[in-house]
Amino acid sequence: MDTFLKNLAEILEIDEIKTIDRFQDFPEWDSLAVLSVIAMIDAEYQISIHSSDIKGIVNPEELFKLICSKKSK
Amino acid sequence: MSAIYTLITGASSGIGRSIAIELSSSKNLIIHGRNLAKLEETKKMCLNSNRHLIWLHDLENIEEIASSLQIFLKESHIFVEVFIHCAGIAVAIPMKSSNLTISMKMMNINFFSATEIISTLLKKKINFCNLINIIFISSIWSNYGSIAHAVYSASKSALDGLMRSLAVELAPLIRVNSILPGAINTPMAEQCLADPEINAKFKQDYPLGLGKAEDIANAVVFLMSEKSRWLTGQQIIVDGGRTINMSLK
Repeated sequence: MDTFLKNLAEILEIDEIKTIDRFQDFPEWDSLAVLSVIAMIDAEYQISIHSSDIKGIVNPEELFKLICSKKSK
Repeated sequence: MSAIYTLITGASSGIGRSIAIELSSSKNLIIHGRNLAKLEETKKMCLNSNRHLIWLHDLENIEEIASSLQIFLKESHIFVEVFIHCAGIAVAIPMKSSNLTISMKMMNINFFSATEIISTLLKKKINFCNLINIIFISSIWSNYGSIAHAVYSASKSALDGLMRSLAVELAPLIRVNSILPGAINTPMAEQCLADPEINAKFKQDYPLGLGKAEDIANAVVFLMSEKSRWLTGQQIIVDGGRTINMSLK
């Protein structure tokens, strides 16, 4: 989880992000950031997710749960 | 058995595999890739399966392409008449999040591997002037822009730049052309097409719908035939009308 949060912080160009921080509250959270997150998840976890999968995701905790659920399939 | 072969890189799936199957009835093939099991599958799907050969090499290992190919040709006692460069990877990543490792991987596999292979095939001591035709599988993104695909687009533009200069440099003995496919329903595009939003947009953008790998294989057959004898240095766009579609909706 620590590495995951560190990667997200890097994409959003912030020092740190917590599991319950809302993505929408960060000025760098836009469609390009979503693409960067998708690329990061693909590289780190070898999982393909789509922009539409992330649409309803509010915070890192929910995103990590999505990764875990896809990974277990 | 003839010692003259057609080399297809990236033949383990998708467009490369389809090209191999299409050409297998009339040509001896070198089926290239990095996954032996998948290459064996392609070979089994080809006609005259026994006469085709497998060259196993990871093109990311750029510095050993020339020696690997040279040894393969020498040990097999064969020569290459047609080179079809189909190998390629596309990593969708915005520029800000990209890095040199990702960029170099795409450039090596999509572009520099072609220069290494051609340079090897042009050496008299290795291929004895047998090469007469080079075909690159480029992309419509060679000429247009797309979010998160800057380096991929650049790798295909590089390939087409190489194609034009080689067409001049190697004429009149060798013809060099590119085929620029639009979205083709292949394993490489599967990830994109699985997204319902992208899938719906593709259907709207492509007047003739999504393409099949066979559509590209058919263009390859034309570029290998005598019917295209006066054609060199060209980008052949095979995209179901995608790049001429200016519809507002």
